[in-house]
Amino acid sequence: MSTITRLPELVEITIDGRPVRVAAGTSVFDAARMNGTSIPTLCHLQNETPVGVCRLCVVDTGARVLTASCVRPVEPGMKVVTNSEKVFNARKTLLELLMADHPSPCARQDKSGDCELETWAKAAGITQPRFAKRTVSRGIDDSSLAIAVDHDACILCDRCIRGCDEIRNNFVLGRMGKGYSAGIAFDLNAPMGDSTCISCGECMVSCPTGALTNKTVVGTSIAGGLDSQGFEAEELLQLPVFKGVSGTFLELNRGAIVKRRFHPGEIVCREGEFGSTAFYILEGKARVSLSSPIAHVKTQGGAKGLFKKLTSTLAARDTDVRAEETRDRTIPIDAPVDLAYGNPVAELGPGDLFGEMTCMNFYPRSATVIAETDVVAFEMLRNVLDIMMKNKSFRAQIDQNYRKRALENHLRGVPMFAGLSPDFIEHLKGSVELQRFAPGQVIARQGDAAGSFYLVRIGFVKISETYPGGELVLAYLSRGDYFGEIGLLGGGVRTATCTALDHVEVVRISGDDFRDMVERFPSVRQGLEAVAAERGAQNQQRMQTVKSVPIDQFLSQGLMEAQSLLILDLNNCTRCDACVNACADAHDGVTRLVREGLRFEQYLVATSCRQCRDPLCMVGCPVGAIRRRNSLEVIIEDWCIGCGLCARNCPYGNINLHPFDVMVEDLERPGRKKAVVKQKATSCDLCTHLKEPSCVYACPHDAAHRVDPRTFFSEMLGGGTAK
Amino acid sequence: MDATSEPSGPHGGSVVGLTFGVIGFGFMIFAALLGARKRVPTWRIGRAQAWMRGHLWLGLLSLPVILFHGGFHFGGTLTSVLMWLLIITVASGVFGAALQHYLPRVMTTDVKLETIYDEIGNVRKLLREEADRGVETICGPLGFGKSEKEEMQRAGGFSAARAMAATSSGAAVAAVAETVVLTEEERAPLRKFYLSEMRPFLEQPKLRGSRLGDADKAHGTFSGLQTLMPPAAQTTLQDLEDICDEARQLVRQERLHDLLHGWLLVHIPISLALILLGAVHAVMALRY
Amino acid sequence: MARTRTTKKLAQRIDLNYFKRPTALKRAKFWLSVGVPVIALAWIGWHGFARDSRVYSSGRMTEAHAVLEADCAACHVQTAGMFSAAASDAACLSCHDGPLHHAAATKSVGCATCHAEHRGRVNLVAARNEACAECHGDLKANSGVAHYTVHIESFEDGHPEFGALRPLNGMVTHDPGTIRVNHAIHMKPIRRGPNGPNVQLECGDCHQSRGATAEWKYADTSYASANVSYSEQDEVLPPKIGTLPRPGHESGCELMAPVKFANSCAGCHSLAFDERFNEGVPHDKPEVVHVFLVKKFSEYIAAHPGDLREMRNPGHDLSGKPVQPVVRPYTPNEWVGARIKDAEELLWRKTCKQCHALAVGAGQNNLPVVEPARTSVKWMPHAKFDHNAHRGFACASCHEKALSSTETSDVLLPGIATCKTCHAPGPERAESRCFECHTYHDWSKRREVKPTFTLPALGTNGR
Repeated sequence: MSTITRLPELVEITIDGRPVRVAAGTSVFDAARMNGTSIPTLCHLQNETPVGVCRLCVVDTGARVLTASCVRPVEPGMKVVTNSEKVFNARKTLLELLMADHPSPCARQDKSGDCELETWAKAAGITQPRFAKRTVSRGIDDSSLAIAVDHDACILCDRCIRGCDEIRNNFVLGRMGKGYSAGIAFDLNAPMGDSTCISCGECMVSCPTGALTNKTVVGTSIAGGLDSQGFEAEELLQLPVFKGVSGTFLELNRGAIVKRRFHPGEIVCREGEFGSTAFYILEGKARVSLSSPIAHVKTQGGAKGLFKKLTSTLAARDTDVRAEETRDRTIPIDAPVDLAYGNPVAELGPGDLFGEMTCMNFYPRSATVIAETDVVAFEMLRNVLDIMMKNKSFRAQIDQNYRKRALENHLRGVPMFAGLSPDFIEHLKGSVELQRFAPGQVIARQGDAAGSFYLVRIGFVKISETYPGGELVLAYLSRGDYFGEIGLLGGGVRTATCTALDHVEVVRISGDDFRDMVERFPSVRQGLEAVAAERGAQNQQRMQTVKSVPIDQFLSQGLMEAQSLLILDLNNCTRCDACVNACADAHDGVTRLVREGLRFEQYLVATSCRQCRDPLCMVGCPVGAIRRRNSLEVIIEDWCIGCGLCARNCPYGNINLHPFDVMVEDLERPGRKKAVVKQKATSCDLCTHLKEPSCVYACPHDAAHRVDPRTFFSEMLGGGTAK
Repeated sequence: MDATSEPSGPHGGSVVGLTFGVIGFGFMIFAALLGARKRVPTWRIGRAQAWMRGHLWLGLLSLPVILFHGGFHFGGTLTSVLMWLLIITVASGVFGAALQHYLPRVMTTDVKLETIYDEIGNVRKLLREEADRGVETICGPLGFGKSEKEEMQRAGGFSAARAMAATSSGAAVAAVAETVVLTEEERAPLRKFYLSEMRPFLEQPKLRGSRLGDADKAHGTFSGLQTLMPPAAQTTLQDLEDICDEARQLVRQERLHDLLHGWLLVHIPISLALILLGAVHAVMALRY
Repeated sequence: MARTRTTKKLAQRIDLNYFKRPTALKRAKFWLSVGVPVIALAWIGWHGFARDSRVYSSGRMTEAHAVLEADCAACHVQTAGMFSAAASDAACLSCHDGPLHHAAATKSVGCATCHAEHRGRVNLVAARNEACAECHGDLKANSGVAHYTVHIESFEDGHPEFGALRPLNGMVTHDPGTIRVNHAIHMKPIRRGPNGPNVQLECGDCHQSRGATAEWKYADTSYASANVSYSEQDEVLPPKIGTLPRPGHESGCELMAPVKFANSCAGCHSLAFDERFNEGVPHDKPEVVHVFLVKKFSEYIAAHPGDLREMRNPGHDLSGKPVQPVVRPYTPNEWVGARIKDAEELLWRKTCKQCHALAVGAGQNNLPVVEPARTSVKWMPHAKFDHNAHRGFACASCHEKALSSTETSDVLLPGIATCKTCHAPGPERAESRCFECHTYHDWSKRREVKPTFTLPALGTNGR
């Protein structure tokens, strides 16, 4: 996804007679899609670079030949026709040609009924292709443990190659051969099982036909109750929300999404618990609320002592005015609605997705959900939700829900917008854009031209300033907070860098709308200037304190992100390896800590899981095996397929892959099992099965400690950081 | 129970003497069990720190207790040998405890680029490869073959199974930058220096005689080299100097580590012999 | 191409299984930990294999037992059914006799309690004071009151004054000897003989130890070689039964010999009886003296018949009354008798009486009865004092009382204080432990032990 760093130029075209304005650089396909016209594709996937090999997406742009819309950028004044006879005929012939060689029904059509080629063919009315079937079979490849390859079903759409290269960076797949013998190959045309393929499944998930299908079901399982059941992919695909989701993917991850039934009064989830799943309500109503009593956090149970009582009335109120005012209005929770401060209860119904933050970012559950009627809901792991969020129909629904129920509250939650008229709010609701950012992605950079104003819908955004020596975090913003107004106001240049810490979704209000707002409502401008002045003063003060403290090293090593560090006091450590031996002893001979890393003061920050607030390691696990369950530590479930993505993602190298002996079904001798060596990821799990981390317990010299870096280094950090 | 009022005088066989002997031997057994404790680090039988403290104190106390046991006499052959073994053990233990108190601090301050002792050989090899690569960007191929991937499981999220994936995701050292283009004449000094001095030094840093073994001399050497080489090569030269510094630090680390752990080669075998002979003595003394 | 360091890069240099690999240090530790105990075991095993138990000895043996140093089994015998092979009393008694200290002793102790071997070349007899104080520190009598001081811990702590000097029933002790001696006069320069020169006597001129071979300065050979009819019983008080030194360990020079007339007194004290003769009477019983006198005078008158008509010098009449000169013809017998009467008058009432306690006329034939001398030879019956060991000292430095003693009854034994001047605890002092003067074993009850060692057996460790 691109970051929008400047106001994009807009281009005007017509699609099927309708005028459309899109940003320059958009492809015709995207322009059509954004405006409601869907064009069939086979080789194009939203998240892969378009290559235009299948030609199914051809449209008529008035040129000599039909153009592939996925690769053609819009030009001003282009007239695009997607529904003419010419276009239909072209598509039909194409499909027919492809179907001629297709071993219909292919494996995918068989299992989950959603082979894209066959689906399109059926929609185009092709039953019996006119053309002769190819005589030479390219064979099947059964060597992989996880994926079955049927080269005859392959339409050479290149999706798998791009998936393996661009998305997973494994570079296993390529094209080989020419003419009729052209096909996909693994490494240098090795059998798939003998290649460097790690069975991550991306190719299989990307494949539109049954050329790559899953052999084994990964066996994911969310802790099930009697009321949960995994079920067949076909069942799921019937539901409208799953339209467009790859059936093979669902098949592979059977068990990663379960249907649950809740009786009235039953607790679906409790606030404060750690979890890793999201819920999507199919039927029924549930009540979402905060059950912990609301108390003003700044009270200390009444001023103690006569002196304090006397002086408390004289003492100035806390200076964090803005936060209080926001908090007074609504409490943002991980659901389509926010809770009102005075009465923190709301209702969730069919089509509502809640627990997104918990699922995507492994934060604790933000509220308690109790079923009011009989509720049927899906509970899904992150990898499923990830795919769902990429799925356009699912996204559209979420989007709609948000706009309807929560957006207004969020907008009203911004104190400067207090004076906006209702119809302006309505206008905003329609014109705002919801944008997603991946962890680490920069939303706005310090020094860039300011273009938009942002409201955070979900996730955490880090606001920081760079200065010589490092980066200074000014604030962490979460749901309901806003940023970007300073830049828009004064001179149009961003004063700080805004980075997504985890999976963030923001509401973007365009610069035009913002300027409109400021002009029409002077109260908004006043409020804005006041806030700007205050923030400026705060930041100055913070810069002063920080200059004298070596906080840069703390930040640069990423220690701020950690919630638990394993530090070895080098002034006590005799380098005896007792900690490493103990760790290996507690974990089947594989150590989860390495006594190497960068130093901080006299401490060595060992290479061992830091339980980061934002666990980058969890991004992209194809089977949702790495997660937080219900406590702080990051665990890797035993269904890990060893693809190594988490190991690569961890910026500190805390996760390692290690061969384990696993018993699998022996395919040559059915009914028996054989031992194979399988790579699996390992990482520090804080020894929760024992009461104390083994390394700390086994150190004879009081050198190993598991600490929370902020409290441990609190004096050095000046007694606290931003927010 | 006053030992001095015994008719036959204080000696190991009197009630008091036997009590001291048993207590002393008990202390020694507990002290020896520390070694066993380290083999089962995850058993919850008391923190390693508590065991270590117990080991130090009880081990130290065993010496006066045994002296009381023998009435400050060294006795016959076996008992003299035992007394000397005990003295050596306790003395080496005290020495070791002092080392363990002071040396970690020295290591922390002196060896900023410390790594794991057991892996120093491997790290040296990686340093050599890094230096090779650095020099090759300037001087072209040097003819040192890359070592094959050994049978080792690298940490840090590295997976040897996917070599191709690994190369793109950040290998152990920075990727090779564009080759700096220099004439043969310009790069000759570096090539000569590298092949004749630096690489042999990196292979055997402990050998005396190399200028690079001393920080000041090395700095002087590199300063000299800097004047001979064009500016384009300066970053590479700086990197090479840093590599030499790291190599020197690793040598220092090796020496300190050997000292920090070497005393155990006296302490442990002597203590085991002490326990063994002590048991023999206990049996035989009770017999006679 | 600047070098960068990140945690991940550093970690990727490391082999995940490095700590499982063997290293030089680990190998060395292992092999030494195996090797050194094996060497120790081998050393012990070699001794065991060679049946040489000397390695387990807790110290060298005393000089006397050094020959047994290699033969542990000589003393350390394993009793049947028991693991222990401690040196038992039976082992000691197989060569030595250790007679009981006291028949009524309540506590019996093993040999090893006092006689500790394996302490090196020390005196095996040297028992610690605490051993004696086990009983004597708080002496319990079987019935009645104890004979000895009840709380004696050591020589310096609780040891009473010597019995010979301790007041008995409130009265000061006295020497039971009957020979009158005034030591003070004898220690001043005195005239030797009735007409001799002045001499300065020394202690050794009269007193010598039994085994001494030095010449008596003032001895008279004729007396010395004479056969006397009185025996040791008349002379010397028998010593009280006490702890006797071990037989065979005496040199004979420990005690002073009783003073004999022939050796010490005869040189000055003349036993002249008549001016007609140069010699004195034999130093013997009155009966013998009488017979001697008869013989002597008889021989004289037979040789000088003319002396029958002797004119008695009126000034020589000892009765003191004026006597007319009378010429009286004697028969030889009468003459002899008169002369004997005169001589015996002199002897019994002056010469002999000067030193002896005699009762004139109390015996048969009107002869006096001479009290036995009752000379004490051993003043300390319970201690073994050795004058020979102290021969470096001048006699008077300990026996100071002799210089001023005028009465026979004076006990001239030095008091405990004199001994304590040198015999006190401390390295610069003389031995003051109990064993130095006392013995535990009652050697009067000694029995012979049959020796069992043979020369070949010694050489082959008892086999």
